[in-house]
Amino acid sequence: MENYFDYTKKLFDPSKINEKPEVFNGIRVLDFTHVIYGPTVGKILGQYGAEVIKFELPWIGDLWRVGVNWGSFWRHSSVCFHFVQFGKYFFALNLKLPKAKEIILKMAEKADVVVENFAAGTTDTWGIGYRQLSKVNPGLIYLSCATYGQYGPMRFFPGWDLLAQAASGVISVTGYPGTDKYYKLPDYVGDFLPGNVGALAVIMALNYRKKTGKGQYIDLAQTEALMRIMPNFTYNSITNEDLGRVGNTDPTMAPSGIFKSSDGKFVAVAAATDEQYKGVCEAMGRPDLVSKYKDTFERLKKENAAELYAEAGKWVSSSKAESLMGLAKKHHFAMALVEDDYEITYDEWRRERGSVIVFQDDMYGKLIMPGPSAMLSKTPGRVKWLSRPLGYHNRYVLKHLLGYSEEEIKALEKERVVGYWDDRPGIKPPVYYDMSKDAMFNYKGE
Amino acid sequence: MSKKEKEQILVRYGGSRKEREDFLKAMMSPDDKPEVLSDTLILDVSYANMSGDICSGIYAEFGAEVIKIEPPEGDPSRKMTPYGVNRSGVGVPFIMEARNKRYMTLDLKSEAGRADFKKLAAKAGVVIETFDPGQMDSWGIGYRQLSEINPGLVYIAISPYGQYGKKTQEMTGIPDSDITSQAASGAPANIGDMEEEGEPYNWPLKAGVWLGWYTSGLEAALGGAIARYYAQASGEGQMVDVATADAYASLVGYPVLLGFTWNKARPRIGKHDYILYPYGFWKSKDGIVAIAASRDHDFRALLKVLKIWKHEDDWRFTFDRIPDILEKIEEFYKIIEDQTVKYTSDDLVRMALEYSIKSARSKWRGGGVPIVMKVQQPATTMQNPHWAKRHSFQDFDDPALGKFLMPVNFIKMSESPPRVKWVKCAIGQDNAYVREKYLK
Repeated sequence: MENYFDYTKKLFDPSKINEKPEVFNGIRVLDFTHVIYGPTVGKILGQYGAEVIKFELPWIGDLWRVGVNWGSFWRHSSVCFHFVQFGKYFFALNLKLPKAKEIILKMAEKADVVVENFAAGTTDTWGIGYRQLSKVNPGLIYLSCATYGQYGPMRFFPGWDLLAQAASGVISVTGYPGTDKYYKLPDYVGDFLPGNVGALAVIMALNYRKKTGKGQYIDLAQTEALMRIMPNFTYNSITNEDLGRVGNTDPTMAPSGIFKSSDGKFVAVAAATDEQYKGVCEAMGRPDLVSKYKDTFERLKKENAAELYAEAGKWVSSSKAESLMGLAKKHHFAMALVEDDYEITYDEWRRERGSVIVFQDDMYGKLIMPGPSAMLSKTPGRVKWLSRPLGYHNRYVLKHLLGYSEEEIKALEKERVVGYWDDRPGIKPPVYYDMSKDAMFNYKGE
Repeated sequence: MSKKEKEQILVRYGGSRKEREDFLKAMMSPDDKPEVLSDTLILDVSYANMSGDICSGIYAEFGAEVIKIEPPEGDPSRKMTPYGVNRSGVGVPFIMEARNKRYMTLDLKSEAGRADFKKLAAKAGVVIETFDPGQMDSWGIGYRQLSEINPGLVYIAISPYGQYGKKTQEMTGIPDSDITSQAASGAPANIGDMEEEGEPYNWPLKAGVWLGWYTSGLEAALGGAIARYYAQASGEGQMVDVATADAYASLVGYPVLLGFTWNKARPRIGKHDYILYPYGFWKSKDGIVAIAASRDHDFRALLKVLKIWKHEDDWRFTFDRIPDILEKIEEFYKIIEDQTVKYTSDDLVRMALEYSIKSARSKWRGGGVPIVMKVQQPATTMQNPHWAKRHSFQDFDDPALGKFLMPVNFIKMSESPPRVKWVKCAIGQDNAYVREKYLK
């Protein structure tokens, strides 16, 4: 039989991704979202083949087009905006005008999914809520993303990733006990994780629609999605007290922690099972500890775990990272080096795997970006193009999807129903790029 | 308020408060609604790795028949629990993911156990495993073998470094844990204080939740759902591969995007943010509040609410507030803190909300919505009437597990919502049920 790893290498071969089929071919998504949380839903559906039309206000655009770290743009654009918007069609339509509403209602007839993340009730007011759109298309799946959801006394509260983290209690469990230092989870994971939950909800709804033909309304609260990853509530209901902050250790495994090795590297070590515990003790040269804590629950008790944490800390701080890795392989316990942005970007294995991809874009050139979190052997996710300037696909959407003529489009432009960018980075095209020669921007029709 | 103004507000929120609330609550109730995965049999053979249990827990909430298969002595994951807190030998995270599942024992190391597993897999829609890459294959029950007897099978494999490539072969034998998957995927590197705060506060810090395992479990569920959708349309199953040492990094994207564009690693900056300002925590009279007011109009509103308008001139535009000069940011942090410590958290929340309501009602809009939220503890979140109205928590009472509560209904859907029907997880409790139903 063929070697397993040769077999899987062929199965997942990153160079064959673009030859493989796409799951959501023929699914059309109307994406009325902004910043990270809502757009992530459309991004994932688009990554697997859906046709995602992103609506923005002309001359204003998505707030996140200028969301750049420490004020530095990359080729006059935001890299995070590329990451949450790749592969979409950029349609700048002034939602507030009656003509725009007509266009949206027309598009909703042939759409499969609508995603929005305005304050609760806003799209309803504009006449493009689930109530109105499900009348023109009963099979429609409509996902509303908000921080606190669409009903309940706090539904009007505005929110961002930070507020969802604060409201769910995630913030209160990260950091060192007994200090007044608090840390949020980094990189807006309070937006990204709920966004992925939103995509999961839409896929479940698509699955249901395939069986029954019925669409539905989905109410996703960012805070509830974060609460789903916290066993802290169950812990509280069993012990009548909060678990609180636990510092740099995992209280479910002992020993476990992030320590500094003698050569200055940060190392995470954990004994997840009794067997791994035995392995760690042997590697530490402390076989006596194995018999001291035979019972798992006994070992995990606060004071015993603290003792083991201290022992492991001493051991790591007097060993080199490389020799620790050798011991982990020999004695089978969990170990990994703490990796920073740069190391993750240039890790060879992530490139080989397709977790980090080098994408060549027609407008922006080379961007090294993350691949999908889950690799699918037959229908892998892929990147087709990065984000585009505001209103880039106006002609394509109006002509190709709605059958407008050039004259009609000119009239819409004159009435300011559709529009383009103004002179700001992130919204306008990069200066070196000649839009007049761009075939998609100047889409002529079939 | 004139009648017309009142009407406008009602329209803006789609009806009166009570009408809309009750209408939506009834619409989203899970009672007596169909379950989208009710036709799907899922086998979860994850071992000593809770990301598999998390993945199957999500599917079970959507109505799948999930059979968790353990060795006769039980999965070691049962004992991963904070400070050893357990009920009848079962730890808290394991109880939390024991939603709507069946528990069966099979010894996959024995010929007979594998034969039974094969029979089950022939009928299954999804298999979830977390063994060392290649282990299931060497037992003759990997994707390669199972896809021959069941071409529509979706096979989800979760491991530290994935199922292919050099690294995973090199690391074979090193098991998975949450803290190591966090470490390898870039979360701790970006949590923690600035250099000058001293050790250990300036070290990389782990997230207080299972960020590595929960993102891996969720991404496995998402990838598997996409594969299942394809399988139901085409009859073709496939393999889904999740690497826990990468799932988080690819979920948030920033580590790679910034590693490339900055060509270096970010420094840790404690409570601050790299993009938005103000966006962080401040002390109040009686606790900690989170404040987000980074857009210009929100920022102006915050200055007004905190009565520090005199600083407007220096910090007016987003470009004045780029948080790249940390000394400047700290300086303004103190200006805000001097005000926030004068008020209680509740007062600050109320002051910000009152301002926001006023600006939302203004016909000019654009008044800004400074957002202030009290940093909640799990104990206070559980008491919040908002979550009670949304049925976000549910109480359970089981003879073996006792009384406890869990977060449930994390997605509200009008037609086929997820729900938790029971929580029970004795080792081998459903052996007879499974044998009767699937192995006869």
